[in-house]
Amino acid sequence: MNNNIIKLKYKLIIPALILLFAVILFPLAYSLFISFFDYTLVHPTFEDFLFLENYLKAFQDTYFWNSVFVTLIFTIGVVLLEFIIGFILAYYLNKDVKYKNVFFSILIIPMLMTPVAVGLIWRMILHPQQGILNYLLGLVGIPAFAWLGNKYLALPTVMLVDIWHQVPFMMLLMLAGLVSLPKRPYEAAKIDGASRLQMFRYITLPLMKPTIIVAVLIRTIIAFRTYDLVYIMTKGGPGVRTDILSYYIYKRAFAFMDIGFASALSYILLLFVGFVSIFFIRATLSQD
Amino acid sequence: MKKLLLILAMILLLVFSALTVGAQEINILMEAVPDTTYVQELIPDFEEKTGIEVNVEVINYAEMHEKLIPQLISQEGAYDVIVVDNYWVGEFTTADWIIDLEPYIDKSDKINTDVYIDSMFNMVGQVNGTTYMLPFYNYAMALVYRTDILDEMNLQIPTKLTDYVELCNSVTEQTEYYGVVMQGLRPDPIAMEWLNYLYSMGGDFYDEDGNIIINNDKAVKALELYVENINNNAPDGATGFGFDQAFSVIANGKAFSYITYNWMLPKLNNEEESEVAGKVDIAQMPGGHSLNGGWGWAIPKSSPDKEAAWEFIEWVESFDVAKERALMGGSPTRNDVFNDEEVLENYPHYTEVKTILQGARPIPIMEDSTELIEVLGRELSLAANKDKTPQEALNTVAEHMKDLK
Repeated sequence: MNNNIIKLKYKLIIPALILLFAVILFPLAYSLFISFFDYTLVHPTFEDFLFLENYLKAFQDTYFWNSVFVTLIFTIGVVLLEFIIGFILAYYLNKDVKYKNVFFSILIIPMLMTPVAVGLIWRMILHPQQGILNYLLGLVGIPAFAWLGNKYLALPTVMLVDIWHQVPFMMLLMLAGLVSLPKRPYEAAKIDGASRLQMFRYITLPLMKPTIIVAVLIRTIIAFRTYDLVYIMTKGGPGVRTDILSYYIYKRAFAFMDIGFASALSYILLLFVGFVSIFFIRATLSQD
Repeated sequence: MKKLLLILAMILLLVFSALTVGAQEINILMEAVPDTTYVQELIPDFEEKTGIEVNVEVINYAEMHEKLIPQLISQEGAYDVIVVDNYWVGEFTTADWIIDLEPYIDKSDKINTDVYIDSMFNMVGQVNGTTYMLPFYNYAMALVYRTDILDEMNLQIPTKLTDYVELCNSVTEQTEYYGVVMQGLRPDPIAMEWLNYLYSMGGDFYDEDGNIIINNDKAVKALELYVENINNNAPDGATGFGFDQAFSVIANGKAFSYITYNWMLPKLNNEEESEVAGKVDIAQMPGGHSLNGGWGWAIPKSSPDKEAAWEFIEWVESFDVAKERALMGGSPTRNDVFNDEEVLENYPHYTEVKTILQGARPIPIMEDSTELIEVLGRELSLAANKDKTPQEALNTVAEHMKDLK
């Protein structure tokens, strides 16, 4: 190929590279740099070089480990349930049901709301004395629960609200996958006398695998960084039962003003999410 | 040549007139609370008098601190005047973000800092003898209670904290009401509420010599009483209540008492917002010391127009305007406004509020106060939910306080 054209090619991508550097690489590198210092908002200076001390501090902090634990439970729980519910909904929406468009529109509504609005609405619905949920449960004789105030119920409750909010996303991706499946294998299976369950197990699932992996990966990454729901609904309480990692980092940065330490924590979270992503991407590649 | 000179002169004239007559304006960041509304309603008077245009940006408390910091750090910020929560005083003054007001006060014939109630001026006025702020309004906490329930039981508001918890026990056991509604949400709601218990029990963060005493016997007793009250006498789920959720329980007539800001009383007595209007009153915290809170007017170092900023503060804190704000329902900080006949006629409970203010104590003014409240809130919540004993929780706070400035 002509040498000049190659040169031109590189010249042409320079603006894009500059932009990427400015909005992604630079902040990333800068926060990595900050994470090695005792850098606080009140004293924003690079005088005390700590190197890895912020990272060590994180690993020695019991509340950090608690947050990791809460985040893992939360992520695994919501992604799994959202996937199962989303898949079931998509499976039935893909069939010829009456009023499909009506169901579809209703099911998609939660996704259109911002997480803060979702949190505020649910906080009112879940109010132990004034909320409508306990009132409705009371009508059928079920006692009232302190959804967000009970230390055993708070995390499952926040998870349920997240599931309510995010299922439409999962459903949409699954539906997109299902719609684009080829018809032929099903016809062949029918002729061979396969049952519905067999068709689902041996045709639908294997063909859907790439879609499932991508959808679960995206949701896992987003779930790891959940912050708004906890911020609005529980502030990490009761005690530290819903003290999810992103919220914990936020408090370190903006309540403790400890930007250095918070940057270190963010890097730990980034590495964590990075590993999970690599795991999923590998799974996708091995399938090809 | 003459023509050219004439044109030049005209241009110069235009430029000068634009500089002097050109709309002078100041920007203020404030919290969305009733007292802000009262100021906003009076601002047209100021604009008319001085010709300075005032833009008030009103946002929620939760966003304020984050919004202020970048403006305070920069060379020339967006705000000429700011309001400072007593939480932030230590941080803002140590970081040198707000200016010393004394040179302005010395020149002024309208402002005299002696008129302010001591507990207010020491909290959101002076720091180590230098006046950085003028107290804007107070939000000292107090005990709000139902007079009808108390009369029915033929009892009185006790003067000791232990007796108050006893009273809440009796109300819960003997009536259909919750003895108390509480706000156990992390971090500020629970921390602020518990500090009333701590101060009324005679406890504090530091003793006079600066030793940490947050985990001494008095503090532990205060937390034991708090845990008892929230678990036995408050509605289920109070451990997760913020201010709004707790308020709705007492406004709906389901609870006997609530420790809250003194300016909530007019709201609870307003028929549009509450079902218990006319049946509630305010009292000093049993034990005599509630948590003090308040806001102060300050001029940031990054203020683009400090003179105009001072002119505004001088106006808003003058006796007439301060009284006008109080008559609209504002929470005063000045002795003369509290003693004013017209004000007392409209708000008879201000006599009690003044007593409350005199006994009220703030959280310690320190650089890391937001961090202190965060840690305190977390540990209190752990104790309230019985994940830790009161002693263990307060020991953790004490340990953490060693690192705070």
